[in-house]
Amino acid sequence: MNFEFSLRRTLSIAKKERFHILRDPFTLTMATVLPVLLVLIFGLAIEFNVKDIGLTVYDSDRTLSSRKLTEVFISSQYFKIKSTNGSIIDAISDLDSEQSKASLIIKPDFEHNLQSTGNANTQFLLDGADNSTAGVIMGYLSGIQQAASFKLKGQKVKPAIELKTRYLYNPELSSPWFIVPGLAVVIIAILSILLTALTVAREWENGSMELLLSTPVQPIEIIVGKLIPYTIIGLAGVMLVVLVAIFGFGLPFAGNIFLFGIGSLIFLIACLAQGMLISVLIRTQQLSMQIAMVTGLLPSLLLSGFIFPSESMPLFFQRFTSILPSKWFMIISRGIFLKGATLADLKLPFLSLIILCSILILAATKKFKKDLEP
Amino acid sequence: MKFSQFVTILGFLKKEFAQVFRDPKMRIILLVIPIMQMMVFGLAISTEVKNIKLGTIYSPNDLILRRIEERSLSSRWFIPAIGRGTLNEFNVDPNEQIRSGRADVVLIPPSGGLTKALERGEGQVQLLIDATNVIRAQSIERYMQSIINEVLKDEFHLNSITPISFEVRILYNPALESAIFLVPGTMAMILCIVTILLTSMSIAREKEMGTFEMIISAPVKTWEVLLGKTIPFVIIGMINALSIFIIAIAVFKVPMRGHFWQLGISSLAFIVTTVSIGTLISTFAKNQQQAMMGGFIFLFLSNLLAGVMFPIDNMPYLMKMAAYSNPMTYFVKLLRNIMLKGGSTELVSIYVSVLIIMAVLTATISYKRFHHTLD
Repeated sequence: MNFEFSLRRTLSIAKKERFHILRDPFTLTMATVLPVLLVLIFGLAIEFNVKDIGLTVYDSDRTLSSRKLTEVFISSQYFKIKSTNGSIIDAISDLDSEQSKASLIIKPDFEHNLQSTGNANTQFLLDGADNSTAGVIMGYLSGIQQAASFKLKGQKVKPAIELKTRYLYNPELSSPWFIVPGLAVVIIAILSILLTALTVAREWENGSMELLLSTPVQPIEIIVGKLIPYTIIGLAGVMLVVLVAIFGFGLPFAGNIFLFGIGSLIFLIACLAQGMLISVLIRTQQLSMQIAMVTGLLPSLLLSGFIFPSESMPLFFQRFTSILPSKWFMIISRGIFLKGATLADLKLPFLSLIILCSILILAATKKFKKDLEP
Repeated sequence: MKFSQFVTILGFLKKEFAQVFRDPKMRIILLVIPIMQMMVFGLAISTEVKNIKLGTIYSPNDLILRRIEERSLSSRWFIPAIGRGTLNEFNVDPNEQIRSGRADVVLIPPSGGLTKALERGEGQVQLLIDATNVIRAQSIERYMQSIINEVLKDEFHLNSITPISFEVRILYNPALESAIFLVPGTMAMILCIVTILLTSMSIAREKEMGTFEMIISAPVKTWEVLLGKTIPFVIIGMINALSIFIIAIAVFKVPMRGHFWQLGISSLAFIVTTVSIGTLISTFAKNQQQAMMGGFIFLFLSNLLAGVMFPIDNMPYLMKMAAYSNPMTYFVKLLRNIMLKGGSTELVSIYVSVLIIMAVLTATISYKRFHHTLD
């Protein structure tokens, strides 16, 4: 392959692409405003500390003690109590029909056992169809157990070994601090892939690619030229998101902003190049779009470590997900925002991003055939 | 319906199927990729927190702390911190271990060691947890607490009896297996993506290429065009639904406690709704790029607001409204209820009706807008 590279030709391609973008204000707005909007909406909406959990209480003891136990659940403020006087079946059927997330079944000899043996057992049924809520509720239970023991027996349970937990980097376990740096990565990834996924395919469909190919311009120049304007738009989007994160949600920006800028630049180019590669390979817009969504949306939502940590995956998938640029930038983004990570801490993610980015650009250039037959 | 109308629609169906399946790449995308995605997500994602890197600060001869560490590492949750044993363990700053990512959690005994402190009657252990992932951090604390309780109980017979104890029984998914929880959710996500994109882009392409004018100028009615263009996508969606269900049940052992007809009706109602929404998006789009952006906005919002990744019940009022006007929310609930809980007749009929109302509403609006473009 003839590998001459002319900056002038590259810039003319970039200029041409700029006109394309400016002519379609809808897409331009999407690319810059949408990330901020989505981060804002979901940053405000997502809360992992579940409250008002529907709890059906079936109290067959009906004594002072059993009422006190119910009160402990009420005063914890995590639960919304629905008492049932019917049968024990109701306590289960409420879970079947999604009326409650959990049922507390107090047996008839509750108070008797408590007074005679000093230990009373109650049944607690949990809806396992929703793992995440079930986990949260189990976390609440140990606190409630201690509060109930205190209220019913007046005795403070002091375990032999007491855990004093300190949560580093997010001491209040605030959901937005957790969500916003990750969500920014997901949104930027998918939008960048989508932005470029159609550019080359559109030129093939419209026939303007034939025109372009009759000029002396080289594949690498077309690829780089098309990447430049989208990178600039993408960077503007990233900047807005960072501003919202800091001033809107009060996130600490513990690390170096310059390092974050370089990271986002490499990440943006990698995602844009991924879209470009799809576009070069497919040549029709409808199919490019399908593939962009398949490789962009769900993997960056589900496999990048955004909510479900990569460390919990089977070893094969831990390795496999390393081909996702979003997995690496997730580490960089959370690391710099919350932990104040330095380049030395992040050398693996940075190196991986650079390698992925170069592979994607190279692949797009190589696969860019100059012949007209697909 | 008159016979001639039937023939017209049949002709449309043939044309549309031919167009979709002409491209071998498209065949793969539509029929194989959903199955592959299902496999990858089902196998890879775990809601259970695992491989937590545990660091410990030792004092010499701290027996109990050693026991806690051994037991943690032999549980399926913890692995040793990176560089364990090679570093000078007594001097590594715990904060630095977490900051550099060598450890997710560090166990710090009181000075002089935990064993000695316990003899004095003051057993306080400090736990430093990396809380960049909130969910993970909370699980780590819970695991650590239960391991410490076990160690106290088994090895030192220090049983802390509490007056009240809960006998927790988890219904429907007793082992809280991730696949059983996630597979219904991802099924809905995959189906939604395929149908929305296919429909919105296909109509937008005909607009962009000008072939739409040809169809309009032919002697066919608007509703015939609409039905002819959308029925194939409903059929493709149903084929996808079937193959994904088979994988969910055969590979991931998701129980199927309800009736298959409930599952069939729910899927049909959901797919008709998403295809109508795809059509509606395409009536707004001038070209494929705009259809794509519209499709993306809808897909992103509906994927995040369906109760799969985040609980919906504690969102602010406005977002809750949005979540409950999202067809996927109902479909995910239907899938979980039918597959895991055996399908409560009341819930299935209400939720399916909601989906049907959404389908009718969006279909009517798209029909009206379609009509408008024809004039």
